[in-house]
Amino acid sequence: MTLPFRLLFIAVLQVVLTSILTYFLVTDEYRDLSSQSVDTLESFLIEQKHRELQNYTLLAVSAMSDAYENSAIDDDEAKAQVTEIIHAMTYSGNDGYFFVYDGEGNGVVHPKEPYRVGQNWWELEGENGDKTIQILIENAKAGGGFHRYPWRKPSADEMSEKMGYSVYLEKWNWMIGTGVYLDDVNSQLNKLQREIDQHINKTKQIILVVAMSSIFVIFLLGLILNLSQKKKTDQKISELGLKIINMQEEERRHISRELHDGIVQVLVSIKYSLEATGLWLKKAKVDKPQPLEHAQSNLQDAISEIRRISHHLHPRILDELGLSAAMDALATEFSEQTGITVNVTKPAVRKLVQDSINTTLYRVVQESLINVQKHAQATEVNIEMTIKDKWLTLTIKDNGQGFDADNSGKADDYGIGLRNLAERVEYHLGEFSVHSSQAGTQVTARIPKTSYANTLPVKEGPAE
Amino acid sequence: MSQTQTEQPTRLLLVDDHPMVQGGLSACLSFYDDIEIVGMTHDGKDALEKALALKPDVILMDISMPSMNGIDATEIITDSLQDTKVLIFSMHDSPEFVTSSIQAGASGYILKDTTSEEVYYAVKAVAKGQTHFSSSIAKMLIDKPARDTSQKLTTREQLILTHVAQGKSSKEIARILNISFRTVEAHRRNMKSKLNIESLAELICYAVDHGLVEK
Repeated sequence: MTLPFRLLFIAVLQVVLTSILTYFLVTDEYRDLSSQSVDTLESFLIEQKHRELQNYTLLAVSAMSDAYENSAIDDDEAKAQVTEIIHAMTYSGNDGYFFVYDGEGNGVVHPKEPYRVGQNWWELEGENGDKTIQILIENAKAGGGFHRYPWRKPSADEMSEKMGYSVYLEKWNWMIGTGVYLDDVNSQLNKLQREIDQHINKTKQIILVVAMSSIFVIFLLGLILNLSQKKKTDQKISELGLKIINMQEEERRHISRELHDGIVQVLVSIKYSLEATGLWLKKAKVDKPQPLEHAQSNLQDAISEIRRISHHLHPRILDELGLSAAMDALATEFSEQTGITVNVTKPAVRKLVQDSINTTLYRVVQESLINVQKHAQATEVNIEMTIKDKWLTLTIKDNGQGFDADNSGKADDYGIGLRNLAERVEYHLGEFSVHSSQAGTQVTARIPKTSYANTLPVKEGPAE
Repeated sequence: MSQTQTEQPTRLLLVDDHPMVQGGLSACLSFYDDIEIVGMTHDGKDALEKALALKPDVILMDISMPSMNGIDATEIITDSLQDTKVLIFSMHDSPEFVTSSIQAGASGYILKDTTSEEVYYAVKAVAKGQTHFSSSIAKMLIDKPARDTSQKLTTREQLILTHVAQGKSSKEIARILNISFRTVEAHRRNMKSKLNIESLAELICYAVDHGLVEK
């Protein structure tokens, strides 16, 4: 794993861990707070119900207080009157009513469940084993109290949790009570709980989105960083490559020149010295000695050999006569070696282009011809150099089989040398392209006029 | 090698950037009485001045030289001095060098690796108004003739074209380059025929198109 990727990995890991931690902390805190608030709400609601029940009961009691206060213990008339009053008293629609049982658990008043009247419910049990009626009576006797128990809700006709409040009418040994159903409290609490859960879910989603987008941004930044770094590195490499090529070219030119203009000239001068010796001997009527003969012929070989090396390193014709002549010489040499016809078309002007561009274009021709020889199986190559529309255009076109992308070996072979040339051409702000088809390959190099124009100085004066 | 004829010795100017070669060659040529070495120089520009001052019969001219190459120098010298013959004396054996030299007005071309005897004969031949090429050069010209360079402008022509494109008259150019008006006119005719151009306007257009002058 490279360093940038390691950093990336650490960053992502941190985001993930932070997100998870945040999620748990926040939801935990939230649940704590919410359960507190649910509890608070519940006790508040229950408290409210209590007060409500007490008020209703107070109302009922005061409604019947006339009849009750003025009655005797067994005043059936008064009892009937009270029964009627209580029977008729309802609130909160269908579900608010009063019930009356005597001290033994016999039903006295029950507007919603009339069958309970006249029967004994002392032993009635709730689901959890509470003796509902006994507890209500007990609470009543204790001066009023609350009790929760399951009871049928009239409006829904099903069992529901009910909170009952009962008081005691001592004179008649009656327990009078009423109750509210707690399902609306429960639904309110459930609703709250649901909202809280929703909130937590939302928080979870937000954290997830933030985490994902953070990771995405990190990756994106990493990618951009990586790409820009790669681009920089690539550029540096290609600059370096170009520098090396230029240096190499310069070095070759230098050595070639040293050989041709230095050593070869010295050898030539020695040759003439030897010849002068021969002439001197001839004048003195002495036969030319054999070793002198050998020295002269060996010297000739040495001169040829060094000139061959020099030419191979850098063609002097390029410096002396310019690109057109150098291309001609190259084409002739190539035709001789390979038997492939080479046609050269070039402009009438000469020595227009500076040395470094000359050398680059010369190498383009050279490399292209090498490729033709190696791969193209062509019979003819056309080299054309034109100056038109502010561009110097050099094309090398063969009539060979071309190379296609599938045959990657060939394309690669073509590629490496040409890629270097492309960079060299681009260095002079030029353009380089290779097109290949079944009908042959065409290499094109273009140099803008701005890169070479006006390099020919107008020499003044008679010294010229 | 005594001189058998009564004629004046051939006055020879040696132009070669390598003093050792010059030394060796002049040592050889000193054995021939009918050649007089009137001067030696090591570069093209100096050769122009020496040629104008000495007006030699023959100049033995190297090609690769520092300030100006021998072919360009040949062109300028043959422009100005009608009676001076130039014999190219070079290491280069590509046909392009030979044809460029001929175009520039050289009367002969010999390679540096020929014998001094051939140098002698070549000098004498061109002095008489003949042409002379090393046998290997002649053979090469027949075997692999240079690609068509007759349509290419010479350095001199290109320079004159640049002046023309800058709006100078033949008279002015003649004065600047220190050559005759007729020579300039001849160059202009040659250029037009090489470039297949009829008018002055086209000539100027060509120079601008090819980046010889700024628009």
